Amino acid sequence: MSARKWLLIAALLTPGLGLILVLIGTVVYIAVAQSFGFYTITGESGFTTQFWSDMIGRKLFSRSINYSIYVGVLSAIFSVALAYPLALWLRKPFAGSMAIGAVLKAPLLIPGLVAAFLFINIISYNGIVNQLIQWLGFSDAPIRMQNDSNAIGVLILQTWKNLPFALLLLTGAVRGISDEVLDAARDLGAGTWARFSKVIAPLTVSGMQASLVIIFIGAVSDFSFQVIAGPTNLQSMSQLMVTFKDRGDWNSAAVVGVSLMMIALIGSALMAIGARLMLRRRLT
Amino acid sequence: MGGKSLLKRLLLTAAALTVGTTAGFANDLSGMSWDQIVSQAKEEGKVTWYVWHLKDDLRRAIQSFEEEYGIDVVIPEGTDTGNNEKLLAERNRETGDIDVFAASSDAFQTLDASALFSPLTMLPEDDGRVSEFGGLDGGDYIRAYWGNQTGIAYDPAQVDETALPQTPEEIAQYWDAYPNKFGFNYQNGGSGPSFYQNVLRVISGKDFSNGEVTDEKVSALQSGFDFFNEHAENYLITTSNSDSITRISDGELAMAPAWEDHLSGLQKRGQVRKDIKFYIPEMGMNGGGNGVAIPRNAENPAAAAVFINWLTSPETQTAFNRDFGTAPMNEAADDSFALVPAAQRKFRAEWAAQPFQNKVADLFIDNVIFER
Amino acid sequence: MTMSKLNKVLMISLLVICTLWLVVPFTMAVLWSLVDPSQPWTADKLLPPAMSFYRWIDMWQNSSLKSALFTSYALAPSAAVLCLLLAAPTAFALGRFKFPGREVAKTLCLLPLVVPPFITSIFFSSVLFQLGFTGWRFGAILFAHAVLFLPYAIRILTVSFEQVRQEHIDAARDLGASHWARFRVAYLPALKPGIFAALLIVFIQSIEEFAIAFIVGSPSIVTIPTLLFSALGQDFVRPNAAVLSLILVVPNVILMLVLEWLLKSANPTLSSGKG
Repeated sequence: MSARKWLLIAALLTPGLGLILVLIGTVVYIAVAQSFGFYTITGESGFTTQFWSDMIGRKLFSRSINYSIYVGVLSAIFSVALAYPLALWLRKPFAGSMAIGAVLKAPLLIPGLVAAFLFINIISYNGIVNQLIQWLGFSDAPIRMQNDSNAIGVLILQTWKNLPFALLLLTGAVRGISDEVLDAARDLGAGTWARFSKVIAPLTVSGMQASLVIIFIGAVSDFSFQVIAGPTNLQSMSQLMVTFKDRGDWNSAAVVGVSLMMIALIGSALMAIGARLMLRRRLT
Repeated sequence: MGGKSLLKRLLLTAAALTVGTTAGFANDLSGMSWDQIVSQAKEEGKVTWYVWHLKDDLRRAIQSFEEEYGIDVVIPEGTDTGNNEKLLAERNRETGDIDVFAASSDAFQTLDASALFSPLTMLPEDDGRVSEFGGLDGGDYIRAYWGNQTGIAYDPAQVDETALPQTPEEIAQYWDAYPNKFGFNYQNGGSGPSFYQNVLRVISGKDFSNGEVTDEKVSALQSGFDFFNEHAENYLITTSNSDSITRISDGELAMAPAWEDHLSGLQKRGQVRKDIKFYIPEMGMNGGGNGVAIPRNAENPAAAAVFINWLTSPETQTAFNRDFGTAPMNEAADDSFALVPAAQRKFRAEWAAQPFQNKVADLFIDNVIFER
Repeated sequence: MTMSKLNKVLMISLLVICTLWLVVPFTMAVLWSLVDPSQPWTADKLLPPAMSFYRWIDMWQNSSLKSALFTSYALAPSAAVLCLLLAAPTAFALGRFKFPGREVAKTLCLLPLVVPPFITSIFFSSVLFQLGFTGWRFGAILFAHAVLFLPYAIRILTVSFEQVRQEHIDAARDLGASHWARFRVAYLPALKPGIFAALLIVFIQSIEEFAIAFIVGSPSIVTIPTLLFSALGQDFVRPNAAVLSLILVVPNVILMLVLEWLLKSANPTLSSGKG
C-alpha cells in the first residue's frame, strides 16, 4: 500500500477512531492503572499486583466470569437467531410490514429498567401469569419464576431488548441481497436451510457480526436486568464491580472492570471470527 | 485546540486526579464569627443540597428554613450513586455545584472526608449534634441529620403478632413452620445484611464492634453459616430492600428485614400496603443514618453552614421525627413519634466495624449464597 | 400465491407474539400509571383497586418534566447527528479499504462500550470538566454522548459501506458522474438504511444515558433519565416510572414511524441492482 493511501486512511480514521483513542484511551488507561493500585480515590496509591492476585483466587470472581459469559453469548445468539427470519420476512414491503417493523422495534423505546420491573411484576408469585396457570389448571400452587437460577428471566429481557437492534442491522443487510441471487439458489434446488447458510448468511455476515458483537458486549456487562431479574445466587461481573465500588474498594472494582473489558473485547473478536469461519464457504 | 495541547491537558488531568488536592480553596470560612457567616450566607442567598432520598418531602420540609433566612434551597433531581460520582468527578474544579452533600453512613465510609470536605468547626457550639452514626465516625466533617433503623417488616394477616420471632432459633422455627414465607436481601440495601450479620453475631457469640479480622473470629462464623445452610430450603433471597417489602405487599412473603423509614415512605406513596407492620427483634438489628458535609469547593459555603446548623438543630430533628418517623440526630430533640414503640428501641445494634464487616459479607456470599 | 398464504399465517402468529411482545408490557404500564396513591396495586389483583390520573397530573405539574423533555429531545437528535458525522469517515475507511490492522481498528472502535461505567462517569466527566466545558454544559453532554456512542454508528455504517457495490461506483465513474452524483447514485441508496439505523440507535442511547448527563449537567440541566432515575431511586416507584415511560413513548413512536417511512423510501432494489 502506498504512503499516500495510508495517509488517507489515517486521516479518515482520525475523527472517529482517533477521538476514541485519545479520549476513551485516557479513561481506559486510568482503569488499568487503577487495577494496579493507582488512582485510589481514598487512601494510598502505588503500584501493586495485590488486587489482581487476590481477585483471581476468588470463587466469587470466577463464578461471575462464567455467568457473565453465559448471559452474553446466549443473549447475542438468541437475538440474532430470532432476528434473521423476521428480517427476511420483512425484506420485501407488503401491506402492514411497516407497522410490524415498528411494533418489533418498540422495545427500543422502553427503558430497560422499566421493562425489567414490569416483567417481574407479570411473573411474580401472585402475578397474572401464575393466576393464568392456576386458572387453566396447570398447577395448584403458584410457581416461583422470579430470579430463576438459570437466568431465563434475564435472557428473555436481553433478547426482548436487543432483538430490535439485530433486526435493524439485518433488515438493511438482507435488503441488499438481490432477488436474482436468491432465485438462482432456489433454481439450483437449494433448500431453505441451504439457502440461508450458503447464500443469505455469507452475504450478510458483516451485519451479523456487528449485531453479535454489540449485543454480546451489552449483555456481558449487564447490570440492571441482573439486579432485578437475575438469579440471587449468582453475580454478574458488573454487579460484582459495583459491589466493590460501593464499599470504596476502587482498585478491586477496577480489576473486575478491566477483566470485563478484556472479556468483552476478546469475546467479541472471537464471535466475529467464529461467524466468519462458519460461513467460509461462500456461494460465488 | 491543537492535538498536542489536548493530549497535554488530558495527561495533566489524569495526574491531577491522583493527587488529593491539599491547596486551600478560596471559599474558606475560618476566622469568621457565626454572625458574619450568617450575613454572608444571606448575601449568597442560595444553597444547593444534593440529597437522594424523599426529595419531594424534603423540599416541603426546608420551606421553614427558606422563610427564616431568606436563603433558597435547591434540591436537584438525582440518585445516591449519581451524587457520589458527581462529588468525585468535580473534586478538582475550582467551584463545584454541590454546596451541601448528603449520603448514608455507608457511602461516607468510602470517601476521604478530610480531602473532600471542609471542617464544620464553624457551626455554633451544640453538644447534641451527632457525628458518630451507623458505624461511621464523621469527626469534624460530617454531621448526621437522619437516623433510621433496620428491623423486620411483616404482614399481620399472615403472622401471629403475639408470637413474633425474636431470636435466631425462633426465626429458624418460623422458617421451618412456614417455608419460603421469609426473605432477605444480601445486596442492594442494608436491611438484609443487618439481619444476617446480627444472626451471625448472636450465634457466634463474638464481639463485632472490633474491626480486626482474626482467624478465631472468622472460624467462629462457621456455626452461623451452618445455621443458614441447614434451613436453606425454607427461606428466600430477595434482590433489594424494596423487593423484600414489595413481595410482602404482594402476599408472597410474610416477613422480611426492612428499613423503618423506607417502609413508611413506600406506604405513604401508595407503593405497598399500609397494613404492613414493623418490629425490631430482641436479638438486635442495626441502626443507620444519613449525614451531611460541605465540599471544599462549595460555591455557597456560608449558606451551606447555616443550612446544616438548621438541619441538625433540635427543632428540625424533632420535626423530622414527627413527620418522617426518623430517629432524631440531636440529643436534645424529642423522639416520641415512630413506627415502633420506644421499648423496642433498645434492641438497636451497631454495624460490625470495618474491615471485619466486609469480611463477614464476603464469607457469607461464599459460604451461604453460593451454596444455594 | 403461497407467499401471501404464508404471510397470512405469519400475520396471525405475529398477532399472538405481539400480544406478548408489546401489548402486555404497554397495558401493564398504562395500568400502573393509573394507580392512585390511596391504595397500592398488589400482584394478586388483576386491576388496580383505585385508579386516577393523579400521577399524570402530579408528574406534569412537576416543572422539571417539561424542561427535561425539551433538553432530551434537543440533545438526543443533535448527539445522533454529530456522532454520525464523526463516525462516517472512519466507517468509510473500515468499509471500503482493505488494510492491515483493519480488524484491530474495528475492535478498538468498541472501546467506549467496554470501559467500566463508574470509570467513565467519574474520570471521563472529570476530563470534560478539565477541558473547560463547564461553561456550556449542554455542549459537554452533547460531545460526550457523540463520543461514547461512536461504536454503534461506526459499526453500523461500516456494514453499510461494505454493501456498496463496486460496479455501481465504477459505472457512475465511467458515465462521468461528479463526486456528488457518484455518492448520490452509488453510495446513498446502500447507506440509507445504515444512516437511519445509526441515527436511531444513538438517539435512543443518548435519551437513556444517565450518569454523564447527570454529573455534568446537574443542577442546571435536567434530562429525562435524570428525572426517571431520580423518581425511581432505590424504591422504584412503579406508577411514576410508568407515567414517565409512557410520556416518552409518544414522541418516540412518532419518530420511529417517520424513520420507518424514510427507510421504506430508501428503495432496496437500487442497492441490490438488477443484473
